Amino acid sequence: MLSCVGCPVLSRVLSTGAFRFPAVASGTARAAAAASTSITTSSCMALVRHNSTAQQDQPKKTKFGPLSDQDRIFTNLYGRHDWRLKGALSRGDWYKTKEILDKGVDWILNEIKVSGLRGRGGAGFPTGMKWGFMNKPSDGRPKYLVVNADEGEPGTCKDREIMRHDPHKLVEGCLVAGRAMGARAAYIYIRGEFYNESSNLQVAINEAYGAGLIGKNACGSGYDFDVFVVRGAGAYICGEETALIESIEGKQGKPRLKPPFPADVGVFGCPTTVANVETVSVAPTICRRGGTWFASFGRERNSGTKLFNISGHVNHPCTVEEEMSIPMKELIERHAGGVRGGWENLLCVIPGGSSTPLIPRHVCEDVMMDFDALIQAQSGLGTAALIVMDKSTDVIRAIARLIEFYKHESCGQCTPCREGVDWMNNMMWRFVKGDAREAEIDMIWELSKQIEGHTICALGDGAAWPVQGLIRHFRPIMESRIAQFQQKQQARV
Amino acid sequence: MAEYVNVLRRAVSQITGHGGVRGLFLQFFRVNDMKTGALVGIDKYGNKYYEDNRYFFGRHRWVIYTTEMNGKRTLWDVDGSMVPPEWHRWLHCMTDDPPTTHPPEPKKFLAKVHQINVSGTKDCYVPYSTTPKKIHEWVPKVGQ
Amino acid sequence: MLRLPAVGRALAGASRSKVSLATSSNVRTSVRALSNMVEVFVDGKPVMVEPGTTVLQACEKVGVQIPRFCYHERLSVAGNCRMCLVEIERAPKVTCSPKEPYGLWNLCAFTILSIYFLHTPVAACAMPVMKGWNILTNSEKTRKAREGVMEFLLANHPLDCPICDQGGECDLQDQSLMFGSDRSRFTEGKRAVEDKNIGPLIKTIMTRCIQCTRCVRFASEIAGVQDLGTTGRGNSMQIGTYVEKMFMSELSGNVIDVCPVGALTSKPYAFTARPWETRKTESVDVLDAVGSNIVVSTRGGEVMRVLPRLNEDVNEEWISDKTRFAYDGLKRQRLTQPMMKDATGQLVPTFWEDVLTHVAGVLQSVQGSEVAAIVGGMADAESLVALKDLLNKLDSELLCTEESFPVAGAGTDLRSNYLLNTRIAGIEECDLLLLIGTNPRYEAPLFNARIRKSWLHNELQVSLVGHKVDLSYSYNHLGDSTRVLQEIAAGTHPYCQVLAQAKRPVVVVGSSCLQRADSGAIFSAVSMIAKNARITSGVQDGWKVLNVLHRLASQVAALDLGYKPGIEAIRKNPPKVLFLLGADAGCITRTDLPKNCFIIYQGHHGDVGAPMADIILPGAAYTEKNATYVNTEGRAQQTRVAVRAHAHVIRTAVAGAPLPYDTLEEVRKRLAEVAPNLIHYDDVEEANFFQQAHELSKAVSQSLLADPLIPPQLSVKDFYMTDSISRASQTMAKCVKAVTEGAGAVEEPAIC
Repeated sequence: MLSCVGCPVLSRVLSTGAFRFPAVASGTARAAAAASTSITTSSCMALVRHNSTAQQDQPKKTKFGPLSDQDRIFTNLYGRHDWRLKGALSRGDWYKTKEILDKGVDWILNEIKVSGLRGRGGAGFPTGMKWGFMNKPSDGRPKYLVVNADEGEPGTCKDREIMRHDPHKLVEGCLVAGRAMGARAAYIYIRGEFYNESSNLQVAINEAYGAGLIGKNACGSGYDFDVFVVRGAGAYICGEETALIESIEGKQGKPRLKPPFPADVGVFGCPTTVANVETVSVAPTICRRGGTWFASFGRERNSGTKLFNISGHVNHPCTVEEEMSIPMKELIERHAGGVRGGWENLLCVIPGGSSTPLIPRHVCEDVMMDFDALIQAQSGLGTAALIVMDKSTDVIRAIARLIEFYKHESCGQCTPCREGVDWMNNMMWRFVKGDAREAEIDMIWELSKQIEGHTICALGDGAAWPVQGLIRHFRPIMESRIAQFQQKQQARV
Repeated sequence: MAEYVNVLRRAVSQITGHGGVRGLFLQFFRVNDMKTGALVGIDKYGNKYYEDNRYFFGRHRWVIYTTEMNGKRTLWDVDGSMVPPEWHRWLHCMTDDPPTTHPPEPKKFLAKVHQINVSGTKDCYVPYSTTPKKIHEWVPKVGQ
Repeated sequence: MLRLPAVGRALAGASRSKVSLATSSNVRTSVRALSNMVEVFVDGKPVMVEPGTTVLQACEKVGVQIPRFCYHERLSVAGNCRMCLVEIERAPKVTCSPKEPYGLWNLCAFTILSIYFLHTPVAACAMPVMKGWNILTNSEKTRKAREGVMEFLLANHPLDCPICDQGGECDLQDQSLMFGSDRSRFTEGKRAVEDKNIGPLIKTIMTRCIQCTRCVRFASEIAGVQDLGTTGRGNSMQIGTYVEKMFMSELSGNVIDVCPVGALTSKPYAFTARPWETRKTESVDVLDAVGSNIVVSTRGGEVMRVLPRLNEDVNEEWISDKTRFAYDGLKRQRLTQPMMKDATGQLVPTFWEDVLTHVAGVLQSVQGSEVAAIVGGMADAESLVALKDLLNKLDSELLCTEESFPVAGAGTDLRSNYLLNTRIAGIEECDLLLLIGTNPRYEAPLFNARIRKSWLHNELQVSLVGHKVDLSYSYNHLGDSTRVLQEIAAGTHPYCQVLAQAKRPVVVVGSSCLQRADSGAIFSAVSMIAKNARITSGVQDGWKVLNVLHRLASQVAALDLGYKPGIEAIRKNPPKVLFLLGADAGCITRTDLPKNCFIIYQGHHGDVGAPMADIILPGAAYTEKNATYVNTEGRAQQTRVAVRAHAHVIRTAVAGAPLPYDTLEEVRKRLAEVAPNLIHYDDVEEANFFQQAHELSKAVSQSLLADPLIPPQLSVKDFYMTDSISRASQTMAKCVKAVTEGAGAVEEPAIC
């Protein structure tokens, strides 16, 4: 999830379970009182009003998915067509981009707000609101859009598909999003391992420059906009927005303290918005087809379509664009060919990339794939990367391996993450063998709570949640493993 | 009567034995005692060794120190360590044979010239310090 | 890298809602109107603070100390130790200022959400306060967060407090006692880190490191060397110098104080003493003219170490390496007893009585005018006044300092001519600085640190006329020839336009370039430049442009007391009796003097002056006496007795013509008569006679020499051994060796 954690706040919201998000809450008195700053209130009122109008026109939707083909945004997800400019034009990219730009900042922002698009990087912060932060009066510094293409979250492979098969969507998205926030240029920070993807992206950018779509007087709109590709060196932490900014600046990829937020002091000291590839890529289509179209998918406040990555013990692992709020079971069975050995063989699913807590089968039965439903299930949508595990899985070992990943990727800057994740890693591998005491299960729970929310960035949280999910749902397995180990020890004696 | 005569005779012998009244007083002030006895011997430094068995054991042998030994004036500044080892054993009754009659066997380790104890003088031995010096003083270069 | 103009402007522009890189305490900002203040609560107690104040500072204001490791008020905020986490209680009502909706807006969006709705503890060191916040410094949640962080910090920290030099003054010890758990749950293996050799001054035990990065930030921000950094990530993150090299800075010792644990400790001090067994004496450093405030730690009559003492006006809380580590020079090459030349011309120890009668005899046997005195760089004001009175009584006026100063024009008659008038702290207020013929980095490291601070935070423009040296910040090098000086004075140099635009210009001339034969001409040119700058900038009279940066601790006091600068007078009238008061710079030798000249040396080290003397009178060094020193600003400060040493100056009885004082108080009374500013301790007497001085300097008709202006201390290896104390110091000798041959060349005991 870190690859796209735009906002640690919401990540933490995800973790707590006890969730009330006031900024987009539908006008309850509580939310209004809570978000009592005048600006917050007015902007979320605006958001709420548009949302509710959209909802009032039609009866409340109860069935979500499957997505019909004409509603797909990413029409070349599987690379069956030409990814270059010609193919992209034939798929409708760059169609009337000039007109979109000419409609002005407020129109674009309004469409995004109406669409109810939430950040696709994992935290799910309302995109319209986030881009709106950039529209304060300029103090002379240029503004930048930074696109987070450092997709390092285990299980996630959505941005990669976009960049290698539909790179023009991203480039056009950069232009539209950049226009919406008045950015001078976009930096696309792409993961170092994505060599082909960065190459395709660079080709697409060059084509766009050549066609006059970006660069000076982009699309003939009179607006100057540049797009740069920055290749990372393969650190997971560089997917955290401030670490990503540091990395672009040529420093060690270590998250910065917030405040000041990137919207104030970001890359090279200028106001910056960091957005996920998918978020940026859907923006032109939203503008073209209208925010209300986008908002018609999914549940209220979780609207839109989304790329889902289904991996693990399914018959056909795949990446697929689907409507938000589609039930998990339907998603798996329709697109991934079902769980290996049938639904009954399912043990658990990690629903949103490695850093979200796992959910066991009985929760998977009827959970919907959207932000709020998964939070109610004490997990999170994250990057919508489902890791499916069937009953052959040693779930303790799976989680231990994830923690080892986090231990390896911790930047080492702040104490709880540096020391705590290493400690948890050591303990988890003992739990795999069963070489522990039952009291230590409570202890590692406590340790994970000591890490969670006490770190600069969300990596600590991301490392803590898988352990919490494991303990929450599979404590009996851990206990029996310990008992087995002790029996073996006694037998040896 | 004879006792009184005896006393008188011994008193006179004190005077004669010390070389007159002056000698008697000198002896008295140097050793705080007046004893006469048989001169057993004189060592090469000039210390005189006496014996008188009429005295109680332990007081019956004594030494009258020389007035100058090894270049040191010892008229008043006397020290027990002025007695050389060969006389020391006789004086302390380790043996009854004075070195005059039984000269000591010459040994390599025996000093040719007997040294007086230097404790308390500037030549005395001071053990070196085992702690580092807190302040190292400047030593001017020779020849400056 | 640190000085990104954009960041600076951004921070300045948005400082109302954010933490600026520089904390508000160290960069002087104008006092804000009270109406701008924000009311917050600390454990329910209301307090008014400036907007942009951090939670930690607000707590400090009401006297609540938040535990911290990485936060240091003079360094940028890292916020990575997480020890300062506190819970924030939601405000009853938050209102957004209508005038500045956006400043607050950004904060609102993220922070308010997280803090209000999730009750996540915040890092107090980095989070600016918002109106109406209630900071809970001792709530259950806060305590739990601290205990958790403490547990993590201790997880990989070795339990070697009994053999750790930081023991007793360790932040980790103190805070784990206060805020930590009473038992350990850590049963895994501990991490170990290889130690690094970063020179002969700093001992590293990197296993103890808690990665607070204070040292890294100190090196890059204050010292201005990019030597330290972090390598590796996660649990294998290490602090180090990337490649094995020496941490080459003149301020490197300060990382020992900055380190909250025992990872960086003093190598010379290693295993010698414990903080609780030493006696601390507050004193003043005399190894340069800055007069850094120090604390001398002694045990059993021996100086164990020297630590800095806080003085915002002089050294803040840093001291230079020479100040900190040259103390072992106080124990070596000392003059411990009076000496006199015997018949063979060899100096032999004698007794005070003999020596003093001999001196009295010699002094009485010559004419008063045939007696002269030269004072060295570490003479205190009391000795100076006593020596002056003595020679005046003998009817001699030949009292000179070793260090020269131009006497043409106003010379030393006007006090403002030879002081650092702007003061050290004044550098933070200026916007343009012209350095002439000096290398402040090694002549006055803390002055240089102040310049760097101002350069970093206040966009100070620095220019240098003189040899191109590394000053740890970028500057505009105008050339090293005297012609440049002339051109600037005449207004023909392009730099004059820059100078003309300055609002608060400062010109600093180094005393080293005033040692030249053409010092008078240099000084009058400098005076001209300063005058022009004053006129073009239009600053008010209180602002002083002309500054002299001295190198010797005694110089200002000597000039205040009326000593003649330089020994020219003595060269011209060779005396029969010459009194050297700690004169160790070697500016006069036997060959300059008549054959039968009788030399009396009084001082504390057998260095340069002592070998040529006929009589040596041992004196006390600065740690051994209560004495007055005046720094280059003209600030009188006192040293205090840390170590009882040998007899203090007993000059009163020497001449047979006794001086009218016997005790320190009486000498100080006499000082007050001669120069009252010398006993106004810790205060700087204003001196402002630039106009008159400039008029007088016009009379100087000396021409400049063509030689380039090259200060004597160019690189760090010239810095360590400059006076009799540091020349006697083995540590300083090791530093020179390490600098020239690499840190590996210095042999250390195996235990280190």
